[in-house]
Amino acid sequence: MKRVLSMALGILTAIGGFVDIGDLVTNAQAGARFGLSLTWATVAGVVGICVFAEMSGRIAAVSGRATFDLVRERLGPGMGLVNLLGSMGVSLLTYVAEIGGVALAVELISSVDYMLLFPIVGVVVWLVLWRASFSFIENALGLLGLALGVFVVALFKLGPDWSHLAHQAVTVGKPSDESWPTWSYYAVALFGAAMTPFEVFFFSSGGVEERWSAKDIPLMRSNVIIGFPLGGMLSISIAACAALVLGPLDISVSSLDQVGLPIAVTLGKLGLGIALLGFVAATFGAACETGLSVGYSIAQYFGWQWGKLVRTDVAARFHAVLLGASLVALGLLATAADPVTITELSVVFSTIALPLTYFPILVVANDRDYMGTHVNGPLLNALGVFFLVVVTVVAVAAVPLMIWTHMGS
Amino acid sequence: MPFQPDAPYDAVLRVLDRQVIGTDDLNVCKVDDIEVTDLPDGSLQVTALLAGTPALLPRLAGRPTRWMLGFWERMGAEQADRHRPYRIPLELVDDIGTDVRLNVPKLDVLERADLGPGRHPLRQLLALQVHSHLGDDFGHALDVRVDERHRIIGVIAGAGRPGSLLGYDRHPTQGPAVLRWAVGFLHRHTVYIPWEDVEDLSWETSALVTSNPSPTALRELPA
Repeated sequence: MKRVLSMALGILTAIGGFVDIGDLVTNAQAGARFGLSLTWATVAGVVGICVFAEMSGRIAAVSGRATFDLVRERLGPGMGLVNLLGSMGVSLLTYVAEIGGVALAVELISSVDYMLLFPIVGVVVWLVLWRASFSFIENALGLLGLALGVFVVALFKLGPDWSHLAHQAVTVGKPSDESWPTWSYYAVALFGAAMTPFEVFFFSSGGVEERWSAKDIPLMRSNVIIGFPLGGMLSISIAACAALVLGPLDISVSSLDQVGLPIAVTLGKLGLGIALLGFVAATFGAACETGLSVGYSIAQYFGWQWGKLVRTDVAARFHAVLLGASLVALGLLATAADPVTITELSVVFSTIALPLTYFPILVVANDRDYMGTHVNGPLLNALGVFFLVVVTVVAVAAVPLMIWTHMGS
Repeated sequence: MPFQPDAPYDAVLRVLDRQVIGTDDLNVCKVDDIEVTDLPDGSLQVTALLAGTPALLPRLAGRPTRWMLGFWERMGAEQADRHRPYRIPLELVDDIGTDVRLNVPKLDVLERADLGPGRHPLRQLLALQVHSHLGDDFGHALDVRVDERHRIIGVIAGAGRPGSLLGYDRHPTQGPAVLRWAVGFLHRHTVYIPWEDVEDLSWETSALVTSNPSPTALRELPA
């Protein structure tokens, strides 16, 4: 019974924890402009994150090594350092975006000005990273994030022409007023929003800290294989709501309140309240995950003590990095930079950092010195190689597309 | 009792860059480099793990690295031992698996030490250009094979970066097949040189000369 409960909890938190500011903004933007014609990119990203997280979760369970340990062990110190700078930069940028996102969501609830809110949010996030337990971050925020389920409810309430939506989702096409480069750019962004490296850093480091062993693999798998796709369904329903409500009105999404607009139109005040709660929980949870990921990656590269389960003074350097990252984030937000723009940048940049993190995981998941009998099977290796090609192509295409399309405008 | 491996191992693949952990389960450092010591019979033995900035930074290539190392030393110019790496003698190592387990707790375990004459960091060994006595060029050392007594019994030489074999030479069935094929192709000229065949080793000119002009290709060696 306890196993079933912990499995259910794990799946629920994976659903709630899947969505972050990147998913919220990118899906609403893509939905409003392209309908469901880019659903395939989200689906690819979700399958990709499942493959990536399953491998790194299994490595964490069997060998006790977190993702960035393996990056350095397999890429060596030089390439590892390049990857460290890239991954840390992207995690930090996402951290800034998430803190800004929490502040924006709280502004929508409280009507207190965003510029007053973000310092408070930043300090609260840092306090949670410093003092709160791992399970609080994972469980409480993950469960609250399920409030985003209102997007599914709203979608049904809107009563769309399902066959038309499904046709959009499964055929290759784009609205006639959009160009193929922008279509591709948003495909890259949606893929990047779904397959984010920090999720894997957090997932595998959490597994190492909670001392997963080989017998935890089924539990880990159920979280990944059921939880993440259901989280992906939330993402798609956000896109679908935006497509149905914002698309016909030609509203392009440039702020967080526009993401919630379809809910306000269909479900009224109560629905919007629940959606905003979901926004706060999802972005707050992701802020914690990204903040920790900054610390995890640098500590695992240099071999410092890291983690939430040891006293803060034992992992002093790790916590100093968290404090530093929080200060940098607040400094960046104090320039009044738009969190939505930072989000757009972070999802695209995260695709560039992805291959160098994904590759060593794929290699080690096959290495019997680490994995014993728990190496990848043929199906997983086929998927693994497929996504190695995909993440490489996406990483190469991301910046040229970004420049070519002026960030999708 | 120091660590006794049950089979020969490749030092770069299995030890370098691994996490070092104390008996209290706390992280100590990474294996930033490995110390090898000259033996009277001309062979080399792994004697210690090295850690810290003076061990790590020289492994990164290029001019910025030298600048960074200089900067790092100036940040503590009053410390006479700042250029020395931390040294963990092999006697303190309990086990080497996916991580390096010490037989002591983390507290006070790291002490700076001079490598001194007769001791070399592995990075210098990996920088050796490998030739035959007839002048055939085999690239540079990519890894060293070490026996149960930690003596170096062979050198893997070829093109590319140390560690770029990714373990595919040790497990001939390791997947995914595409990557195995790609690594095998890139390392098709990589060779294994047993230590008996080493005719001359010069640290000054960074050259290793083998008496065998046609050493065994790594891909033909049983794993």
